[in-house]
Amino acid sequence: MTELAERARAMLLDALELYRDSPRATNWLRRHVDRLAEPLRLAVAGLPRTGRSTLVNSLVGEEIAPLLVEERGVLAWYRGAAAPRAQVYPAQAPPRDVPVARVDGRLHIDLEDWRAEDLDRIVLDWPSRALRRLTLIDAPAIGAQAPEPATSTSDAAADVASRISLDADAVVYLMNSLHSTDLGFLQSIQDHPIARETPVNTIVVLSRADEVGGGRIDALTSAKQIARRYRTDAGLRGLCQNVIAVSGLLAHAGRTLTADEAAALAALAELPRRELESCLVSADRFAGGGVPVRLDGRTRAALLDRFGMFGVRLATTLIRQGYTESAALSAELVARSGLAELRESIQQCFIDRHDVLKARSAVLALEVVLRMEPRPEARRLVTGLEQLVVSAHEFRELRLLAALHGGRTELPDPLADEARRLVGGDGTALPARLGFEHEPTGAELHSAIAVALRRWQEQAENHALGATQRRAARVVVRSCEGMAARLVRR
Amino acid sequence: MRTPPWLTLLDDTIAACITHHRTDLAGKLERRRALLLDPRMRVPVIGELNQGKSQLVNALVNAPVCAVGDDITTVTPTAVEHAEVPAAALVTSAPTSGRRAIGPADAEPAREPVPVEDVAGQALATRRHDVHAEVGLPRDLLSGGLVLIDTPGLGGVGSLRTAATFALLSNADAVLMISDATCELCASELELLKKVAAVCPAVTVVLTKIDMVPRWRGVAERNRARLAAAGVAAKVIPVSASVRLAAARAGDQELNEESGFVDLVRCLRQDVVAQNDVLASRSAAAAAATATEQLLTPLHEQLAEAKGGKLGKAHVQYRAAQHRLDELRRRSSRWQTMLGDEVTDLLSDVEYDLRDRTRKIVRIAEEFFDVADPARSWDEFEYWLCDCLAETAEINFSWLIERFQWLSTKIAKQVALDEAVPDAADAGDLLDHIGDLTPPRIEKFSVGQQLFVGLRGSYGGLLMFGLATTLAGLPLINPISLGAGAAFGAKTIWDERGSRLKRRQATAKTAAQRHVDDFFLSYGKESRDTARLIQRRLRDHFSSVVDKLQAGIAERATEAKRAAEADLADRRRRSQEIALELERLAGLRKRTQALVTPNVRRRGLTA
Repeated sequence: MTELAERARAMLLDALELYRDSPRATNWLRRHVDRLAEPLRLAVAGLPRTGRSTLVNSLVGEEIAPLLVEERGVLAWYRGAAAPRAQVYPAQAPPRDVPVARVDGRLHIDLEDWRAEDLDRIVLDWPSRALRRLTLIDAPAIGAQAPEPATSTSDAAADVASRISLDADAVVYLMNSLHSTDLGFLQSIQDHPIARETPVNTIVVLSRADEVGGGRIDALTSAKQIARRYRTDAGLRGLCQNVIAVSGLLAHAGRTLTADEAAALAALAELPRRELESCLVSADRFAGGGVPVRLDGRTRAALLDRFGMFGVRLATTLIRQGYTESAALSAELVARSGLAELRESIQQCFIDRHDVLKARSAVLALEVVLRMEPRPEARRLVTGLEQLVVSAHEFRELRLLAALHGGRTELPDPLADEARRLVGGDGTALPARLGFEHEPTGAELHSAIAVALRRWQEQAENHALGATQRRAARVVVRSCEGMAARLVRR
Repeated sequence: MRTPPWLTLLDDTIAACITHHRTDLAGKLERRRALLLDPRMRVPVIGELNQGKSQLVNALVNAPVCAVGDDITTVTPTAVEHAEVPAAALVTSAPTSGRRAIGPADAEPAREPVPVEDVAGQALATRRHDVHAEVGLPRDLLSGGLVLIDTPGLGGVGSLRTAATFALLSNADAVLMISDATCELCASELELLKKVAAVCPAVTVVLTKIDMVPRWRGVAERNRARLAAAGVAAKVIPVSASVRLAAARAGDQELNEESGFVDLVRCLRQDVVAQNDVLASRSAAAAAATATEQLLTPLHEQLAEAKGGKLGKAHVQYRAAQHRLDELRRRSSRWQTMLGDEVTDLLSDVEYDLRDRTRKIVRIAEEFFDVADPARSWDEFEYWLCDCLAETAEINFSWLIERFQWLSTKIAKQVALDEAVPDAADAGDLLDHIGDLTPPRIEKFSVGQQLFVGLRGSYGGLLMFGLATTLAGLPLINPISLGAGAAFGAKTIWDERGSRLKRRQATAKTAAQRHVDDFFLSYGKESRDTARLIQRRLRDHFSSVVDKLQAGIAERATEAKRAAEADLADRRRRSQEIALELERLAGLRKRTQALVTPNVRRRGLTA
């Protein structure tokens, strides 16, 4: 654990001691102390039918989501563990185990007599490599059809937003196109004084990228362009770290491609081009009777379900282009789906910054307790918290990063990119910060740090820059010094 | 040609709007009327972002007239209508300045012709919201007067485009609402549909992109169920624009059949073009109903107000004045009793105080003269007594005045008036009542008298002891009898002097007592008189004040009453007027409803 996480933990323990007579605060604080040692919690949120469960499946690489079909208001947690186990956490009772089984290749949880409204969350422990460093939270759809008409869309959205901002350390937000509801939601998950300062825990995913442009063969390329445009969108830029186009369906199908499916696709690809095109005009045609190939209707319908129209088109094209091996096809499908980019971005933005994000969550939790139950004795803690938020260098880096991202601090052109990189915008490892493409040697690192340090020390004293810019430069200098110290320790 | 009933209804509604000084509503209806009379049928194609609206229009007319893209594309509305030769133009609407006049706008919009092939790109290039594209194409579908309008997507960020789309809706004859088959209708789309159905009742939901979704039939079914649950009567037509365009390229009739466009075109022809009059009357009814509703709401409010849910201002004032008058009367009877009671209490208290004080003085005087000799200390005593009495009178009087002051403030408070309290009576000539103290007569005990008394005493002693000593053979006058005589004489003088002192003291005490009594009597009388005088003055003062007040309030009450009566009459008149107006509007509404639901039974009877 880093020094920052240690400090946050010590403060939580202090608060626990101070608030030992308040059961609510104690409960809350203890949960957050435990949380510090847990893997990073990543929430997957979005409007209904934006493909949250598909994305969870493709991130895990197995078909485990959704746990409950069309139930609203229940958070589903997917936790890494040695053995599968499902637990329900009722809002008013201790957690308990429930039976879980696979039916038709889908996980089915027997809720026994619990109704979804009474449940706080369902936790599924699942043995998976992907879940070792991440706990995924499948959040309920924002503004899903409420059973009672009284709950308006915005209320439900606010509810989901508050749950996510309490439970999750980071968020992957799915959207089809930038709708005003999406912007509202992204703003509301940062609706906390400290969170607003450091909006550094969100990645936006342009989901269902395969449906862009009616599932044309170049849909994903087009989707990537749209994602690039959103990355520079003034409204969105300050609210998220990155925008990535992902086709969850394709990624999941690619990761779990079976030999039968590969064979069926290969059979399709053998058809003459014109015939194949005519039967791929529409889903109806493809699933209907007029396909001149020896594939029965059920296989074709199953292919459509798994890959979608675009997936079938892309897979057959790829096979024609030479990806005849099942493994090669699977790898290419995943590569095209944008999943790799998403995973890399998650790694870079969240997992590499695991400790800072955890500490950030702990600080937020502590602030909530101090605000909700103010006490004169807690004065010292309040000051300590403020000190931590203001002075911890990791937080200062995050704030600078957010400011550079959101356009609040602007540096002249070559400097802005370098500052972003040096404070960890491309990843917090030393080579990533220093911009090395290859694995650098110790001497290279030394000289690169020395050069950067000197340059930024100059900038910190450069009177041609404004006050905020010089302050930003000082943060970069401090980052360089930190890197030098890390190198020496190594 | 007979005037269609919806036209008369619309004209009547316009007239009603003008009567009610709602020229804005009238203007809106006028424009609507002009558009309804226009043989062209305006059908906007609306829907959320990226649902395939432009592609649908392109597929319907089978020409790339609307810009299609994967991102948010359409920024300006494009109207596609019939023309003998293909033509296109970008139209910049005239800036509206000042209040819009009723009737058609006089400023002519600027038209800039562009080639038909380029219209999509040019419309995309203008990033202005007051520009729209107009395209004319020789198409069979459009020849019946159908105008398809492609609109920017709703729900995006930026309300200007949304507002523009809604403005188009208010002039629509029918609406095509687009939703793609990848998702069921979501809450915001249903909300939008309800809004649209209120403005323009002829709505058709088009489910696009069915080529991409294997299970579009289920989506269509669920959408129908949702529409039914939401109470929106709209058909759901599933189509695929890309299949249609592919069919057009290949000239494949079967594929065209599969695209669902045959159904859509049939629907447009049957339900929109052929039903022009019915649609017009439905639209007119909807517009008239909205306008009538807008007229009715304030009228109902006014009626409720006039019916006296809330009292008028004059009436409230009248009530308040009357209430105040009653209160004043009640209080004035109360304050008079209070004054009497208080003064009686005060008098007895003051008298008791005076008596108490004088008694104390008398007691001190008596104690003093028990010891002192008036002959020697009278002057000193007189001085002290006068002082004491003066002090008593002062304290007692000031107390009286204080009590009166307190009383008058109390009464003033009781009458609840900010009137001045009369000044308390002057202290007057308090000290006159003390008068001069008559000194007691003091008998002098002169030397002669002393001698005589001494001799009288000594005689007895001399004789007594002389006779006794004669028995011993001594003469009557002997030294012993002489000594006894002298002793007896001296004793008698001493006794006489003591009794005289006692007498003097008693006289002095009586004199002091009498004097104090005199003072008590005369001062007491004066004090009582003063009290009565003050009481009388207070009474006079307060009665005059109350009288003045009552007169003022009574006058105000009468005024308020008069105003309230006038107000009531006015209200009655107004509520009658409003009721009449309401009746007229209700008639208009009934006609509107009759227009929407054609009376089946009557037709049955005539048949």
